[in-house]
Amino acid sequence: MPEPQVNLTIDGVPVNVPPDTLLIEAAKRAGVLVPHYCYHPGLPVAGVCRMCLVEVEKAPKLQIACATPVTEGMVVRTQSASARDARRGVLELLLINHPLDCPICDQAGECELQDFVFQEGRPGTRYAEFAKRFNPVEDFGPDVLYVPNRCILCTRCVRFMEDVAQEPVLNVSERGDRAYIGIHAEGRLDHPWAGNVVDLCPVGSLISKDFLHKARAWELDKTASICTGCSQGCNVTLDVRDNVVVRVRPRPNLDVNRYFICDHGRAHYRWLNRGDRLEAPLVRQPGGGGGGGGGGGHRAVDWDEALERARGILRGAAGRAVALVSPGASTEALFLARRALARFDWTGAFQLVIGDEAPLPGVPNLALRPERASNVTGAELVGYTRDYGAALEAAAGAAVVLVLDDPSAVVRTAGEVIYVGTVAPPTWEGGEPAVVLPIANVAEEEGTFVNRDGRVQRYLQAKPAPGMARPAWWVLGELGESGERPTSAADAFDRLAAAVEAFDGLSHADLGLLGRPLARRPAAAVPA
Amino acid sequence: MTSHHPADEYQPVFAGATAERLREIGGRYPTKQAALLPALWLVQQARGWISDRNMTEVAEVLGLTPAYVKGVVTFYTMYHQHPVGRNFVQVCTTSPCNLCGAEDVLRAFLRHSGAGDPGATSPDGGWTIVEVECLGACGFATPVLVNDDFIESVTAEKVPDLVRRYA
Amino acid sequence: MGVPHPPHARETVVLSQYFGDAEARTYKGWVKRGGYEALRKALALSPTAVTEEVKASGLRGRGGAGFPTGLKWSFMPKEKQKPHYLCVNADESEPGTFKDREIMRWTPHALLEGTAIAAHAIQAEVAYIYIRGEFTEPLAIMERALAEAEAANALGRLKVVLHRGAGAYICGEETALMNSIEGKRGNPRIRPPFPAAVGLFGMPTTINNVETLTAVPHIITRGAAWYKSLCLSNPKSTGTKLFSVCGHVQRPGTYEVTMGFPLKDLLSELCGGMHPGRTLKAAIPGGSSVPILNRDEVERCLLDYEGCVEVGTMLGSGGVIVFDDSADMVYQIMRLARFYAHESCAQCTQCREGTAWTTKILERILAGQGKPSDLDLLLDLADNMTGKTICVLSDSCAAPVVSGIKKFRDEFDAYLTGKKRPEAA
Repeated sequence: MPEPQVNLTIDGVPVNVPPDTLLIEAAKRAGVLVPHYCYHPGLPVAGVCRMCLVEVEKAPKLQIACATPVTEGMVVRTQSASARDARRGVLELLLINHPLDCPICDQAGECELQDFVFQEGRPGTRYAEFAKRFNPVEDFGPDVLYVPNRCILCTRCVRFMEDVAQEPVLNVSERGDRAYIGIHAEGRLDHPWAGNVVDLCPVGSLISKDFLHKARAWELDKTASICTGCSQGCNVTLDVRDNVVVRVRPRPNLDVNRYFICDHGRAHYRWLNRGDRLEAPLVRQPGGGGGGGGGGGHRAVDWDEALERARGILRGAAGRAVALVSPGASTEALFLARRALARFDWTGAFQLVIGDEAPLPGVPNLALRPERASNVTGAELVGYTRDYGAALEAAAGAAVVLVLDDPSAVVRTAGEVIYVGTVAPPTWEGGEPAVVLPIANVAEEEGTFVNRDGRVQRYLQAKPAPGMARPAWWVLGELGESGERPTSAADAFDRLAAAVEAFDGLSHADLGLLGRPLARRPAAAVPA
Repeated sequence: MTSHHPADEYQPVFAGATAERLREIGGRYPTKQAALLPALWLVQQARGWISDRNMTEVAEVLGLTPAYVKGVVTFYTMYHQHPVGRNFVQVCTTSPCNLCGAEDVLRAFLRHSGAGDPGATSPDGGWTIVEVECLGACGFATPVLVNDDFIESVTAEKVPDLVRRYA
Repeated sequence: MGVPHPPHARETVVLSQYFGDAEARTYKGWVKRGGYEALRKALALSPTAVTEEVKASGLRGRGGAGFPTGLKWSFMPKEKQKPHYLCVNADESEPGTFKDREIMRWTPHALLEGTAIAAHAIQAEVAYIYIRGEFTEPLAIMERALAEAEAANALGRLKVVLHRGAGAYICGEETALMNSIEGKRGNPRIRPPFPAAVGLFGMPTTINNVETLTAVPHIITRGAAWYKSLCLSNPKSTGTKLFSVCGHVQRPGTYEVTMGFPLKDLLSELCGGMHPGRTLKAAIPGGSSVPILNRDEVERCLLDYEGCVEVGTMLGSGGVIVFDDSADMVYQIMRLARFYAHESCAQCTQCREGTAWTTKILERILAGQGKPSDLDLLLDLADNMTGKTICVLSDSCAAPVVSGIKKFRDEFDAYLTGKKRPEAA
């Protein structure tokens, strides 16, 4: 029998929530954001900032919403005079030593102190005659700088390192208004998940060296995406300015990464901005034969011509076909690449970089995974294997070799190579492909990945693809018969779901922005 | 080529009898962490102050991180994070003693010891005088701690003698 | 080491009977004086029976909060499923208060006995006595007494651990005390959960003050009715209280009187009144964290929990700080604010920043640079610092500021108008 819910009223709005719900969470159901700093749903409750004080009928004192569980019949007012006074008081006290750094502070525009002061703070200071407390900036480690002057001592960073990363390398040092966030002289903030403290910091006190003075928050376009660093499939937001990805931040997904991403994924975005992209379809010029001969080079053509050339190669070939793919290609592209070679005796494989695993102990089943690619499971479900060596051997005698975004592939074949990719290798070591088709990267298209736990997740387009590059699902779809070419990314997924058993029952409309698990967890996924 | 002088190498505090003492103290608490304050007292008793390196040692012994230990050390005012004079003097100047001439006592100590300023160590290394908050002996104003000796009813007139006694 | 005065005729000598008696410190000496009989009697009773007796006596926490002791004990789980702990709060750091040190210096076994009885009542196997780090003498005396008591097996199965603090007033707050024992920064905890449910090491815990526990053996021996009968005014305040009198009086020291005793008599008779040529200006009856009383209020104040509330203050710890007409109230209030700013643990915004800002404003006023709006600002800050934090340290900073501005406005105005000049440093 389900537990009885609790009924209460918040700012006049009746709310119905499970018992033990914190008032601050219940308020969200009423559409009320209780201003707060130290509270975070991913961290243990501290109750120290005192911003979330609300008026609770029949309680003699204001109560902090972050630590007060709901009770039946509770009547809560977050906008009463006493609650607003208390918040204004907290804001005033936070500002007396806070430097007027907004013009040079990275947090401006996404700063919770700015936001709440603007909303309900005092318009002017009463602290004018005193000097503000000063401490110099500290370098905490690989990517994190600490600006003590801006710190509001919410202790989110300390609690994250202690409770979630389980490596207490940050502390609160000293007492009273002399307190600051400290790190031992011999310590560094180099935990594989330490970068999250920058996101958690409500102000610009803990900042990323990588993002320092790079862009203003209000210049950024934010797009939902999936991290490409490993097979965990953390949900992220890509921040783009002027068509360049400048930052990756975690996007909350309680079923995958909760509120966090690892430092490897956080830093793994520069490749999305590479300038040395394939920007036009290319066809090989006469004078160069297939199979390793030197040749006449490539000529840039339009899509129609390039696709006609590729279709022609496929129609005219028979026997074996080999697909060498990236394990970071979208599931749709991987499926359509296989379908384009449906007539052939087919082998498909990918290379996989393996690295060290780095779990985040405080969250179940969350780690930087050894498989450093975002769609290993998707590739395997569609039928590709990790047996890259065998595929290379088979390529030698293949009629067609399709390379999908694998610039390190050295293909020596008697047949023809169709190269579909974002970048070209420095030289075509194995021989010039007959056709080179430019595609969009993860940030430039819409698609899906399947993470190691069998969760299908969408990523959206954050910036335009360069030149004439198109999404891989479109390019590979065009290599199929005219009646079978998907008309959209959604259509591509639905066709994939209809054809591949593991995706049975899923449609694109089901995926949303938080993804959906497959009906059956793939065998390859290691249980948590 | 670097040479290793024995003096450069860190000498652990928790060896021999001190280690045994910590083990005995540790047995009084259900967690190792709870032995932290007593462990820090042992370090200060042995070395006169608690260095960053000492904090790392305490952390290792108790299964904590050095940063954690440092956070605790900096919270409690009686732990010294740098060397102090041979005689460490704490003079209470909170209001009850303040009403009874505590600041005169402080000034007398600073003058007669040669320390000059609160917190500074006298040139001969003999004295560090600090102002502290209520020492819990307000009826016997002004109380003063000289190292571990709790001395009551100190007046400015008595200070020169006291300084001589401990010099 | 100061020797206490001989008892005044108007004192009610219960806890302080052997103050100054060196032999009472020893186990043998204490037993000779009837010591450990109460413990034997209590151990023969059930824990509930002991708790009920203490409840009936009306004993209330003597550390400052005045919470009924028997009631606090009754919050502990009756059915023992986990380890129970007793913490003895010997952190005595409230300015003006020095009674617990007297108890530990002169009658350490009384404290041990009271601790053991309380531990029995709450079914605790271990008791931690948290002694502030500066109390080197009480610590040494308690160590000796504990060794003697253990050697004589006087405490039975109870394990008593002496835990030394390291300089933090806030560790006298009961949840901060627990954190400090656990090897953490002395930060007070948010409540709920309360200590009786989740306390020391996560286990059910009771924290009692030294003076509170020292009264317990007397209640067991002489009965709740006797203790309850010690009452001069409000029946909700019973027993005796040790008052630590300090500041501008002829005979500062520790005085034990029955609850409800007139403050004016304590000061003028027992303490010998003001210094020659001086008149009383103000007094704080309960340690620096309670509102200051002016002369008139001192005249009317009866020393019990309700009596103090009636004149607008609180009994608190019973640390009586006396100010005569030579005292600079603005300076002393500044010095108190500075105390709180120094001791703030830094968790709550209002306390961390508010105590420091309050101190700065008062220092500026004293330096002759005060503005007329400063007093309103101080009062506004004090309002911001009251009732909004995890513990009451910031409320305690506000109390002398608010009462000081209200009752000694003229002294503040003297600085603001330039009538009074700052003293040369």
